[in-house]
Amino acid sequence: MATPAAERSALMSELGLDHQNKGAIGRLLASGQIGQAEEGADGAMRATVRIPPDELTWEPSVLVLPHSGRLDLEIINDDLNTHCALLPSNGDFQFLWLVNHSRGTATLELDGPGYYWYGSPTGNDEGRGLTGAIVVMGDAPPEARLDRPQQPRP
Amino acid sequence: MTDYVDAGRAVDQAKLTTVVGNAPPVAEAVTYERILNARNEPQNWLTYYGAYDGQRYSPLDQINTENVKRLAPAWVFQCGSAGLSAGATTYAFEAAPIIVDGIMYVTGWDGWVWALDAKTGQELWRHRHAIPFDVSLCCGNVNRGVAVARGKIFFVTQNAHVVALDATTGKSVWDKTYGDVRDGESATLAPLIVKDLVIVGSSGGEFGVRGHLDAFNLETGEHVWRCYMVPKPGEPGSDTWPADGQAWARGGANCWITGTFDPETNLLYWGTGNPAPDFDGEVRPGDNLFTDSLVAVDVDSGQIRWHYQYNPHDVWDYDSISEHILFELDGRKVMAHFDKNGYGYILDRTNGELIRAFPFVDRIDWGEVTPDGQVTPKNYPDAEGVPVHFWPGPAGGKEWTHAAYSPKTGLLYVPIQDVGATATRRRREFKEGIPYWGAGVQVDGDDMAGYVSAFDPATGGEVWRWRNDTPMCASVLATGGDLVFTGEPTGEFNAYDARTGELLWQFSCGSGHHSSPTTYSVDGRQYIAVPSGWGGWIEGFAPGMLGAPHGAALLVFALPQ
Repeated sequence: MATPAAERSALMSELGLDHQNKGAIGRLLASGQIGQAEEGADGAMRATVRIPPDELTWEPSVLVLPHSGRLDLEIINDDLNTHCALLPSNGDFQFLWLVNHSRGTATLELDGPGYYWYGSPTGNDEGRGLTGAIVVMGDAPPEARLDRPQQPRP
Repeated sequence: MTDYVDAGRAVDQAKLTTVVGNAPPVAEAVTYERILNARNEPQNWLTYYGAYDGQRYSPLDQINTENVKRLAPAWVFQCGSAGLSAGATTYAFEAAPIIVDGIMYVTGWDGWVWALDAKTGQELWRHRHAIPFDVSLCCGNVNRGVAVARGKIFFVTQNAHVVALDATTGKSVWDKTYGDVRDGESATLAPLIVKDLVIVGSSGGEFGVRGHLDAFNLETGEHVWRCYMVPKPGEPGSDTWPADGQAWARGGANCWITGTFDPETNLLYWGTGNPAPDFDGEVRPGDNLFTDSLVAVDVDSGQIRWHYQYNPHDVWDYDSISEHILFELDGRKVMAHFDKNGYGYILDRTNGELIRAFPFVDRIDWGEVTPDGQVTPKNYPDAEGVPVHFWPGPAGGKEWTHAAYSPKTGLLYVPIQDVGATATRRRREFKEGIPYWGAGVQVDGDDMAGYVSAFDPATGGEVWRWRNDTPMCASVLATGGDLVFTGEPTGEFNAYDARTGELLWQFSCGSGHHSSPTTYSVDGRQYIAVPSGWGGWIEGFAPGMLGAPHGAALLVFALPQ
């Protein structure tokens, strides 16, 4: 039976899908909060993601960037266990160890539009819930677009 | 307040490996002149097809019909994957490894590029372009290789960028976007270097886009020209599209496979893809130029000089993207093309005149092409909701994987898929970024066959055939050792006698082949390199093999020392 969007988060919580070891074993991916990066005067974007204690999730679990470019990301592990972060960036993945109660940074270069998953590749952190999304908004640059009249979209 | 441990800054994942971090500057000396004469340095494989002529032939003959039975693995490069990636179930290892003076450059899926020591397999540097998880891919997370010139490595990304890397470090030098992912465009081909240009084409023919070829200055990344393969109203060829409406704007004709080039004619020979919607021709009456065509493009101006359309008004998804192999036949400058429609073509490459057409696959019932090129459609989806079965299916008697030509034997060697399909026309409204097929399609999963065949271009006659229970969906390599190499969907990598088709050697690589093997030598030792990693549009060319193991290995073979 389908659920109206407005009731989705309430039902997720009721079924325990946004908690560890409640509904399922872990927590559904990207079932946390949605956050937006801040854009600095230099065009670079900044954001912070945290790992709350015993939740095995990134908060926010969906981070939205207004456009492609550089993201200066602060990553905080408030958990009582060690995790890590494997993050997408043009050139190579960026890797950061995150022991208990640690704080580090990463600089990411991402194209837009589109979204990317990142996670904590230790044990099965990724499957338990420590897989987050970075959403990059925007459009392809004008010079890359097709020469045709505007077309309908879904 | 929590007293946090300082975790520092995130590092490149490559720092957590033994990757060297740099490669010798061998690519610095790769010039247009060297690529023009690539076959004069058989120790290298300098460009996608080995040379501009697309022959996929190497004069190397250390490995030959007498000793190939001793061929053994020299090294294996395993690349695996990390995290969640686009098309995680459809990725395939489709590249043609490029070799320059002992250094190999090869792409994987999902934005990967590696520089390897071609003698040992040691990873010298890696580069990964981050690919959006939600990028539109018709047929899999794939990439077919790099181009090399003047100290740079060029590759395209699934989200339609063309990127130049420093060949010694793998770091980005320039990065240009040449397609719109919101329209369903992507990019999968290996770039072609001609003069000071990097030439790339767009993918996305199943999304109702307008296919194009683009050229960039290889030093600066400046965009030099774009050639659309579907004309706008009023342009040459526009009378083959409906005069009213916007069918042309969604017409397809993508250039998703690398073309060939003749310096004497100064023409690029590029194959174009299917019209859109693939199977619903009623919304686009006319021949639909320049879909399913050979287009001869002036490399300096990006202008179409002439064309030859293989499938006017295609309703079978018979892209004509596959290679045009350039060679001489009785003193005439010709080219060979094996189309998805199951026919081989020999054309005069100075003017596009057809010399002969001939069938190369057993089961053809979509229609008929006479030896002089007259096309008669017979069997195609027409009425709404009515299933129609036809051979070859939409992946074709031969898809993108490449044939080869040996100037030593004078024969063409072709990987062949003998698989049919049923298409049921289902009209749908066009929406940007949504697949636009105009049919439901099911390819036969329990009645499939394949073969590698040798053809005489002078007659179109089949000289030999090696028959297989599964379609043959990997490129062929011909060598001066009178050998022909290609792989099977079940993982075997095979060597045949180029004159008889006798299977002389076989090695099981553990995953199916859908790539382009190449050959080279280092310090006088000949190697054969083949990426093994089954995937792509399997439901199109071999649905009976959809459950076969994925893989992620580049295997390199040589004779024991």
